Amino acid sequence: MSRRALAWLIAGAVAATACYFLVARPPGPNAYLIFYLGTPAVAVAFLAAGLAAWLRWPGSRLGLLFSLVGYFTLLPALDYLDNPAGFTIGNAAVSLAGAALAHLGLAWPTGRLRSRFERGVVVAEYASAAGFSLLGMLVWDPAFSGCDASCPANLLLVYGSRPAWDAVNVLNAVVSAVLTVIVVVLIVRHWRSARGWSRQAMVPLVWVAVVIGAESAITNVTGLYRLPPLANLIFNGWAPLVSLLGPVLFVISTVRARTARGALGTAIVDLEPGAPPGRLRDTLARALGDSTLQLAFRDGNGFTDTSGLAVDPAQPDPGRAVVPLTGPQEAVLVYDAGLELEPQLIRLTVAAASMALEHSRLQAEVQAQLELVRASRARIVEAGDAERRRLERDLHDGAQQRLVTLTLALGMARSRVAGVDPELEALIEAAGKEAKEALTELRELARGIHPAVLTETGLAGAIQALVERSPAVVTITEVPRERFPAVIEATAYFVVSEALANVAKHARAGTAQVSIRRLPGRLAVRVSDDGAGGARPERGSGLAGLADRVASAGGVLRVDSPPGAGTRLEADIPCP
Amino acid sequence: MSVTAAHRLRLVIAEDAVLLREGLRRVLTDAGLEVAGVAGDAAQLLQLVAAQRPGVVLADIRMPPTQTTEGLEAAVEIRRRWPGTAVIVLSQHVETEHLFELLAGDARGIGYVLKERVADIAQFTGAIRRVAAGESVIDPQVVARLVTRPRQDGPLQTLTERELAVLALMAEGRSNQAIAAQLFMSPKTVETHVGNMFAKLGLLPAAEDHRRVLAVLTYLRG
Repeated sequence: MSRRALAWLIAGAVAATACYFLVARPPGPNAYLIFYLGTPAVAVAFLAAGLAAWLRWPGSRLGLLFSLVGYFTLLPALDYLDNPAGFTIGNAAVSLAGAALAHLGLAWPTGRLRSRFERGVVVAEYASAAGFSLLGMLVWDPAFSGCDASCPANLLLVYGSRPAWDAVNVLNAVVSAVLTVIVVVLIVRHWRSARGWSRQAMVPLVWVAVVIGAESAITNVTGLYRLPPLANLIFNGWAPLVSLLGPVLFVISTVRARTARGALGTAIVDLEPGAPPGRLRDTLARALGDSTLQLAFRDGNGFTDTSGLAVDPAQPDPGRAVVPLTGPQEAVLVYDAGLELEPQLIRLTVAAASMALEHSRLQAEVQAQLELVRASRARIVEAGDAERRRLERDLHDGAQQRLVTLTLALGMARSRVAGVDPELEALIEAAGKEAKEALTELRELARGIHPAVLTETGLAGAIQALVERSPAVVTITEVPRERFPAVIEATAYFVVSEALANVAKHARAGTAQVSIRRLPGRLAVRVSDDGAGGARPERGSGLAGLADRVASAGGVLRVDSPPGAGTRLEADIPCP
Repeated sequence: MSVTAAHRLRLVIAEDAVLLREGLRRVLTDAGLEVAGVAGDAAQLLQLVAAQRPGVVLADIRMPPTQTTEGLEAAVEIRRRWPGTAVIVLSQHVETEHLFELLAGDARGIGYVLKERVADIAQFTGAIRRVAAGESVIDPQVVARLVTRPRQDGPLQTLTERELAVLALMAEGRSNQAIAAQLFMSPKTVETHVGNMFAKLGLLPAAEDHRRVLAVLTYLRG
């Protein structure tokens, strides 16, 4: 809204209020102040709400309606003027504020009336408010209301008739009551049929409508009677103040939008990274206060929301609105159309949702890359293992086998020359010894490359072999006899092998314990000794390499080695 | 060596390396054993044993198709189907896991020998004959590994060097007589040593040699 229009609106509101105080007669010493101040209090509240509503929802009629209620509230004060024209207009306008209030209630929260019927009801409201007043004026002699000659003349008076005037009043009361009931029922129905954001917006209105409706119905009836002073004070002085609930409605909706804005920010910060889209939708819906919020993604030719429902962004359901998200993903938010009144809130939601999705996407990308790297590392280790197995087998089937055959041939040669040529026999014996040495060395070499006993018998046999070879006193507490995938067995084996090698080399340990336990989902390897401690993974490349090896199998290696208190090496290896 | 045909040992050889297989056949035939057939893998071996019913089976542990423990499994299978058949497996491993798998049933007539032992023909044929006679033959290098293993203070530490030597020979499957001959002791002395040791180690005295082999090996391994 332009500053100029705003200035006019403010000027209008101030002028109208000022006029009231100019024309209204201050209460006498015996009168109640409420009759003097109640009207401007209600009017000022509505005028202020109208201004604020105009600022907040420039495209909506709500600002106009709030303002209208304010002006109509002030209008009857014209009858304070000692002027027949003012007196006449003031009296004729006495019910217009109520009609505008009904209009406001029916148009809440968008400012638009929902159906032809409702437009008809509103027209009827205005018509009955103005019509019955004017009709009454035709037959109302101010003297009927205890006015003496000091009252200005009723300019519309055609023929003063008390029975006619009473009849008009009764009819007016009945019609007003019926209209009030209709309006309240319609508002309740709006509330019942609304969903999401709009339903939330309707909740306070229902309360307000019921209270104001009840007040209106009661004063319709009491207006027909001349009331004792106390009842007059209550029904005509204080009761009209319930109209103040109208502006309160505006305050509530403002607070709600502001709360939603704050909640959105907090929700996005609290949302864990990489949360599934369904969780994102739930979080946004809760923060926004629109339980009908849908988050839909491009799915082939159409869109599908997080609960699997098909969504057509080109043709949203009635009462729904669509906004696309920004970012590389094709996604839309579908929300209650009532939110269209809060474009800022929608922008904020779109930004938050886009950001969260982008965050998730990046997260997933990094995760996927990490997964690739992990898999490739595991493959490299596996390939290395396979290569070691192949090498060991080649050595066994090739060089070792040939050396055995050679030793056999040498044995045969030796037995041929035994006792015939002692010199040659000694020579052949020496050659046989060499061949045997070579065989032993080759066996150790092959074992170091890859222990065949691990492939053949699994962890139990291989760990037993390690323990038998260790120069330290090693006891096996527990080793499962079952077989595991080769990578897992090899990893567990190398952990124990390296740990026992360290025990022999550095720990100056007397004893060590080995245990491999099968736990749900993992293999827990532990080697502990009573040696010097002080082993640090970063110092010995052996332990660092071992940590890498365990990590490549998706596991963790822990080294607990306080100086002087022994070393404990623990590896947790994931195992299906 | 002259052996009458009636006493000639009949054996079959299972070994996938052709050169070695043929070498063994020749050496053993020359040594007076009757090689009733040779096999290149475990399946052939089982067929051969079924057809020939030899007294002794000599089998390489690693054979096709997987080159892991086919020979061992075949040996166990042969012992199950033809319990009287003596079996010697040839191993490249000093590790004891396979040995204990082999001994799990009955240690009588079982041999576990490192492959390179074939070089010493006299010793090797001796081992075959011992196994054929129902003794157990465990490779000295494998036993040595178990005996020399460091261990916590216990009864084993209280054995004298002499007693340890007797223990190792027992673990190799030697009879008291053989131990006496090898260590230049009287059989009586060996018996005394054995009795003392079994008492020290808390083992039940076993009359039969093949039972005490298992008892001693199990003790050493534990």
